[in-house]
Amino acid sequence: MDKQNNHIIVTEDIKKNYKDNGVEVPAVRGVSLEIARGEFSAIVGPSGSGKTTFLNIISGLDTPSAGKVWLRGQLLSEMTGKDLSDFRRDHIGFIFQAYNLIPVLTVEENVEYIMLLQGVPKVERHERVMAILRDVGLEEYAGRLPSKLSGGQQQRVAIARAMVSGPDLILADEPTANLDSKTGAELLEMMRELNIKTGMTFLFSTHDTMIMERARRVITLKDGIIDSDEVKG
Amino acid sequence: MLFYIKLAWRNMFRNKRRTIIASIAIAIGLAALILSMAVMRGMETNMIKSATASFLGEAQIHNKKFREAQEVEETIRNLDRVTADLKKEDIVEEFTLRTISMGMVSSPANVNAVLLVGIEPGTEKFLSQIDDAVAEGRGDYFKADNSRDIVIGSKLAEVLEVELGDRVVVTVAQAKTGDLSQEMFRVSGIYRFDIKEMDSGMAFIRLKKAQAMLGIGDGVHQIAIKFKDIQTASLKEIPFWETYSTGGNEAVSWITLLPQMKVVFDMTAITIGMMVIILGAVVIFGIINTLFMSLYERMFEFAVMRAVGTRPSGMRKLVILEAGALGVISIILGLILGLVLTLIMTKTGIDYRGIEFAGTTMHEMLYPEMHILDFILFPIGVMIFTLVVGIYPAWFAGRMKIADALRKSL
Repeated sequence: MDKQNNHIIVTEDIKKNYKDNGVEVPAVRGVSLEIARGEFSAIVGPSGSGKTTFLNIISGLDTPSAGKVWLRGQLLSEMTGKDLSDFRRDHIGFIFQAYNLIPVLTVEENVEYIMLLQGVPKVERHERVMAILRDVGLEEYAGRLPSKLSGGQQQRVAIARAMVSGPDLILADEPTANLDSKTGAELLEMMRELNIKTGMTFLFSTHDTMIMERARRVITLKDGIIDSDEVKG
Repeated sequence: MLFYIKLAWRNMFRNKRRTIIASIAIAIGLAALILSMAVMRGMETNMIKSATASFLGEAQIHNKKFREAQEVEETIRNLDRVTADLKKEDIVEEFTLRTISMGMVSSPANVNAVLLVGIEPGTEKFLSQIDDAVAEGRGDYFKADNSRDIVIGSKLAEVLEVELGDRVVVTVAQAKTGDLSQEMFRVSGIYRFDIKEMDSGMAFIRLKKAQAMLGIGDGVHQIAIKFKDIQTASLKEIPFWETYSTGGNEAVSWITLLPQMKVVFDMTAITIGMMVIILGAVVIFGIINTLFMSLYERMFEFAVMRAVGTRPSGMRKLVILEAGALGVISIILGLILGLVLTLIMTKTGIDYRGIEFAGTTMHEMLYPEMHILDFILFPIGVMIFTLVVGIYPAWFAGRMKIADALRKSL
């Protein structure tokens, strides 16, 4: 029990099978892992290695075929759909490869969305949104629609959205895949700084060597199992 | 909630063309309902007018036994009191007294059974259209003060082979004794209603003469009534009917006198109901199609919203509100379209004069009748309908599998 309480993520023999034309195909074949609070880690591996499936399972977006997941000491399988929604809202920030901002909402409205779900008062929402936009260098773009921003700027908004409510864990799927290397490097630096400044845990799923180089821990998945787990000094 | 309303409203305009096309489809449905209702109402009024204004009147008072047995001795009881009371009624515009009896009209060429009606020409012209139906050049409507004038229908004139000024003999059976009473009359007018039964089977003489022939003194068989408002006759709850259905008399509206007309109106209501169902189906598929297209386009976005913590109920709320936004746009368009079309038609009218429908020949232009309730109830109906139809896509959005929708992303 101490293990679950001392780590933000604990998984125990996670397995996930998909059905493909009636045939069961294993995507994850028994992954046990602990991620400590404040880590800046990356799960790497080739396409089809099970990274995305594993991230979906540990964030409660998908259910495992077998095994258990604890997030902040709470067993996900014991939560209802509504509890999981609230848990993700309050404790997990997501950064997606394709930004996935809501196109009809302005930058400010996109960033405040999660706080709105949390019922944070309007004045406080505005203050926190403007503060995080200042941190990501987009304060002047608060009233713009996502379509009026560059890819790098949109990903900054996505990072601001993920972090603004102060979650314990940020899950980022290929966050630099759609960006040029310079913008990608800038964003990684920014995320690392926020990781150090706030103590939030960052877990990436990536092919990007730039992320692998900056991550403090690199977990390699191969054919649905952990092939290596390297912690940098 | 306000945030979801804002989001739903903006989402509706993401694909303007699709939203406009769907809204126009729903708006046309609503406008068609408003216009159809106005046309049906106008047609109903026309039919009532055609049926009641020709001869029937909007209501009648008889001796209770007369309508069943048609016995000439069954005259209206307490006639003086009844007519005095009718004069005081605010809702009554005009009334006239009639005798009704079966009789024979014979000419040198032929003989024919008729419904012989004794009338007071002065008041009869307010209740029936006999004076209007006497075609120009074919005689007068009791113009001369001659008690032996008779006005007959054009078909009857053909059967009897008589013209204006020709003499005919009328035979009736007297009340109580049944003795025959015969009088000679001069054809002073020939009318044409284009209603077969009236043109071939009725003849009109003066009331006093009819009373004398029938031996009923000052008695009458029927008081035909015209109300100030044509809809009054349809109001079952007014005290008028009870007030005049006492002392052996009965007061009945045209609905009782012409039950077949009521059937026609009921059929009209069914037709409207079927139209509502058909238009409703068009609206249902329009809304479902629009919402699902919009939903499938945004599966990623919806999955992201769910991933970051939106509850399934939040997603359902958003989709229902999007349906509501579509409803609001459609209703505004539909109301404008319905109002403009109906207003134009109330000015131009629809010409279906001469057409016979349910035994009634239409004599007047049809003018649709707008009613404020149509502009309130139909839009409310469309909105409720739209929201109810939105439940299925909303349920779909609420139970989506986030991981499946995100498979290409996280």
